[in-house]
Amino acid sequence: MTIRTLLLTGLLTFGVAVQAVALDGTKILEKVDRNLEPETYEAYRQLIDVQPDGSKKEYVLYTLKKGRDKVIALFLSPPSDKGRVTLRLGDNMWLYIPDVGKPVRITSLQSVTGSIFNNADILRIDYTAEYNVAATEEQADAYLLSLKAKTNEVAYDSLKMWVDKKALLPTTIEAYAASGMLLKTLHFKSVKDFGGGIKRPATLETDSPLYKGYKSVMLWSGLKKGTFSDSIFTLNYLPRIQELRK
Amino acid sequence: MRFPPWPWLAGLLASLAVSAVQAAEEYSFDASSFEKKPFELGGFVQFKQEDFALNRDGAFYKLGYFGQSQRASLERSTATAELTGKLREGIGTFDFHTHADLQRDQLGHAQNNVLYEAAYSIRPDPGVTLEAGKRTLRWGKGYAWNPIGFVERPKDPNDPDLAREGYAMANADLIYNQDGPLRTIAFTPVLLPVQHKVNSDFGSSGHLNPAAKLYLLYRDTDIDFAWQGQGSRPGRYGMDLSRNLTSNFEIHGEWARIQKFSKPVTDTLGNVGSTVGNATSYLAGLRYLTETDTTYIAEYYRNGTGYSSQEAGNFYQLVDTAFAQWQQTGNGSLVQRALNLNQGSYGRPNPGQNYAYFRAQQKDGLGIVYFQPAVTAMLNLDDHSYQVMPELLYTGVKNLDLRMRYYTLQGKSFSDFGEKLNSRRLELQARYYF
Repeated sequence: MTIRTLLLTGLLTFGVAVQAVALDGTKILEKVDRNLEPETYEAYRQLIDVQPDGSKKEYVLYTLKKGRDKVIALFLSPPSDKGRVTLRLGDNMWLYIPDVGKPVRITSLQSVTGSIFNNADILRIDYTAEYNVAATEEQADAYLLSLKAKTNEVAYDSLKMWVDKKALLPTTIEAYAASGMLLKTLHFKSVKDFGGGIKRPATLETDSPLYKGYKSVMLWSGLKKGTFSDSIFTLNYLPRIQELRK
Repeated sequence: MRFPPWPWLAGLLASLAVSAVQAAEEYSFDASSFEKKPFELGGFVQFKQEDFALNRDGAFYKLGYFGQSQRASLERSTATAELTGKLREGIGTFDFHTHADLQRDQLGHAQNNVLYEAAYSIRPDPGVTLEAGKRTLRWGKGYAWNPIGFVERPKDPNDPDLAREGYAMANADLIYNQDGPLRTIAFTPVLLPVQHKVNSDFGSSGHLNPAAKLYLLYRDTDIDFAWQGQGSRPGRYGMDLSRNLTSNFEIHGEWARIQKFSKPVTDTLGNVGSTVGNATSYLAGLRYLTETDTTYIAEYYRNGTGYSSQEAGNFYQLVDTAFAQWQQTGNGSLVQRALNLNQGSYGRPNPGQNYAYFRAQQKDGLGIVYFQPAVTAMLNLDDHSYQVMPELLYTGVKNLDLRMRYYTLQGKSFSDFGEKLNSRRLELQARYYF
């Protein structure tokens, strides 16, 4: 065997190994997506914003998701926000306010609730739709996935995601800006059996160095698979989303 | 059984246990109480206090206070209640939105009850909605103005987000979705009758006015084509578009043409004629969000039905002449003529031809969560008169919005904002939602 052949074999082996690791990371992320939610589902969520003095502001949302990139969130509470609807189709997001009467485009970094959760958190689509796996590291009880945004339109430039090895569910996610600044940390807690084969964290807490002393919590309830018409995920349907609920 | 050595430690452990239970309870959520109900009711009550510094040299002050005691300021209190409700039965839904207000100032009091919306709709399929009743349809992408708002009452550019009274109509919504660059097609046909007591302010009676809007989501761009047939009003058509250039930068535009639009025009002596021609209005705007959560909105509006500085100046001159004549001779006929013109297109909030609008709002201003300071400016580009409005909004108390606004208007004589009814206005408002 010549040195040249040895080098070539070595390079090929290294390349295949790197590809296999990258492939594993992508597969883990795909599994995380499906373990967190079915591709098409409906759910109720409560958002709680906790201020440094302990006071709270709470919102209740009815959420529909279809496919990898279509999400709707309807505000059911508090009364000041009731009837508001946010729609996301891929990178496009709109907010419908009943009194304004027509949808306006919003951005992923804004927050319709004013909390640490921004619109990208509230209208989250599959991680695999927005991020590529840049690196995968195996730790004692977790996989650490380093994710890189596919486009500049994605809210966070990169994520560090710790995934529980057994459950293949995220436990912690750190979200970073392009500058490398930590924007927020998401903590997944209280794994719950929602029925229908869905077992996932029922609580998501977030804190941010940009909002010292503040905390936001997202609680899940009534998560179940569904089938919805594509017509629902359109601007014209937003004023009527309330009628979809059973 | 062993006990902890110190009673205070036992107490501490007990309280920690209670705290742990409370913390667990704190974050439990059961959605069953939020399931859809056959009948829903909501709304708000609001109290607003306004202090006006009246512009006694302004044409609109003279017309507004004609025959009344003259004054330099006015304090007005307004209580408002709006009620919304839904009644569901099968595939049908009846919904309503009522408005009632009671105003009191030094001149007297007034009460206003309006049914904003009341309509019955059925949805045999998610892609098909049929509706009849009183409905507010808002067309267009502009924030302060909407040239293609063909079947709606004009919005107040000082408060574009306010709910407005709708028109009685029958309308439908047909939605079609597909994969590919053209993701959504939605068609909204409308029939709007005008009779003696139905939609009488829309235009001349005895017409069943057709209108329609076609919406497309094409390559991440919202596109609308709008049309209203000739009937109670001249026929008109137009389009709008909106898209995000980046995730924090949106652009939008509107364009509309009104065919054979008749515009009353007066000279300085009150001789009123009409100019008839196609009127083209358009708007270009943007919305930009900075990394520090400041939102900028900017719009340019070309009002094709508006008056040039010369035409508006003639009207203001007419008002001056009319009041001089009335004071000298007691003859109010010319004042009456000016009042009639004021009821029409000269009295619109924005009667000029070229306007610029700018708004900057800061989320969590001064580091206070739910506190939003903002400043809004509106400029008549032809006569360079303008209005500036700083605003403070706090929404940190559950179901309560607290807002303060201060308007200041500047402009020379015979200019748009220089001739308005008031030169300054302070507004304090508390709104409670239920």
